[in-house]
Amino acid sequence: MDFDKQLKLQAYLDGELPEGERRAVESSLAQDAEAAALLAEFRHTNAALGTFESELKLPESREFFWSKIERELRRQEVVPRRETQLSWLWWVGWRRFLVPVGAVAALALLLVSLRTNHPGGGTGSGIVATFADDKAFTYRDQTQGTTLVWLSYAADDKSKEGASEEAIQD
Amino acid sequence: MPPVETMKAERVPSSASDEALVRAAQQGDTAAFEELVARHRDKLYARAYSMMRNEEDAIDLSQEAWVKGWQRLKQFQGESSFATWMTRITINLCLDAIRKQKRQRAESIEAMDEESGGVERQMPVVAVNPTEGLERSELRARIDEALGKLSYAHRTVLVLHEFEEMEYKLIAKTMGCSIGTVMSRLFYARRKLAALLDDLKNAKDR
Repeated sequence: MDFDKQLKLQAYLDGELPEGERRAVESSLAQDAEAAALLAEFRHTNAALGTFESELKLPESREFFWSKIERELRRQEVVPRRETQLSWLWWVGWRRFLVPVGAVAALALLLVSLRTNHPGGGTGSGIVATFADDKAFTYRDQTQGTTLVWLSYAADDKSKEGASEEAIQD
Repeated sequence: MPPVETMKAERVPSSASDEALVRAAQQGDTAAFEELVARHRDKLYARAYSMMRNEEDAIDLSQEAWVKGWQRLKQFQGESSFATWMTRITINLCLDAIRKQKRQRAESIEAMDEESGGVERQMPVVAVNPTEGLERSELRARIDEALGKLSYAHRTVLVLHEFEEMEYKLIAKTMGCSIGTVMSRLFYARRKLAALLDDLKNAKDR
């Protein structure tokens, strides 16, 4: 018996053949002793297997098995909360750097804007960086007699909070 | 994942249907989920054990399946029974574990499967039922021993077909192979199992 015929016989046993092929196999079994013997072997094996799994029992008590599952469910519920906290801390940490950077960017924009409005440049206004304190910038408008000082200290520094901008009249 | 809110809730009545328990569990009722675990834990363990052949792995994987089941509970639409849905999760976890073990041993399921194919094809048919007249416990012990001697691929296809009653097409989808491969694996597995049971019978008779 070739392999294709063996597989077809197995498919017949498993109910996987279309009706026409199923009838053809059925009629051939009467004349083919080898095929009939193989089919009998398959049936014996299937019958033996049928008794096997139903008696397998989990070797742990209901309470103990559940306690492990319950612990895992609780553990997994804690993880997302911790992740949320961490992401918030990440933002607070980065804010220390983003505030001064934002201040510098705002001043740069202001400078570009002034230069665009006064193509001659530098006649009535200008920016002076006070190098003694690299977090302070000064803007002076000669025409209006106004000086603007920008202090870009970190936001969590309470002593300097709220003192980020002061206008001084000449 | 439903919130774990009612861990200390009273045990739900065991008369409730699976469907009612699932609905309650989907709302976060862990007592209902615990009852579902109690009802189906043996079936899931048996499936995992048949595939893994190791008690510790079977306990761990069936436990993992329950945790995954809880996480995905909202996705369960009731298209199959809850037990069937949970069994599919267990089978997938076992297949993943088997693939991982194979990778660690630098083997492939396919290579192990096909290497012995020709032998089973040529084996003489076992004419006498090798399990006839055996006590139930003896029969179980012999099948257990014979199943343990099959390759993972052969055993898995046999488990999915005989115990899970999956059709060829579904087995192919689950195992990620062709229907032809499923048919040949199933054939080799059956033939080899018959020969192993016959060997065990002959060894006892001697």
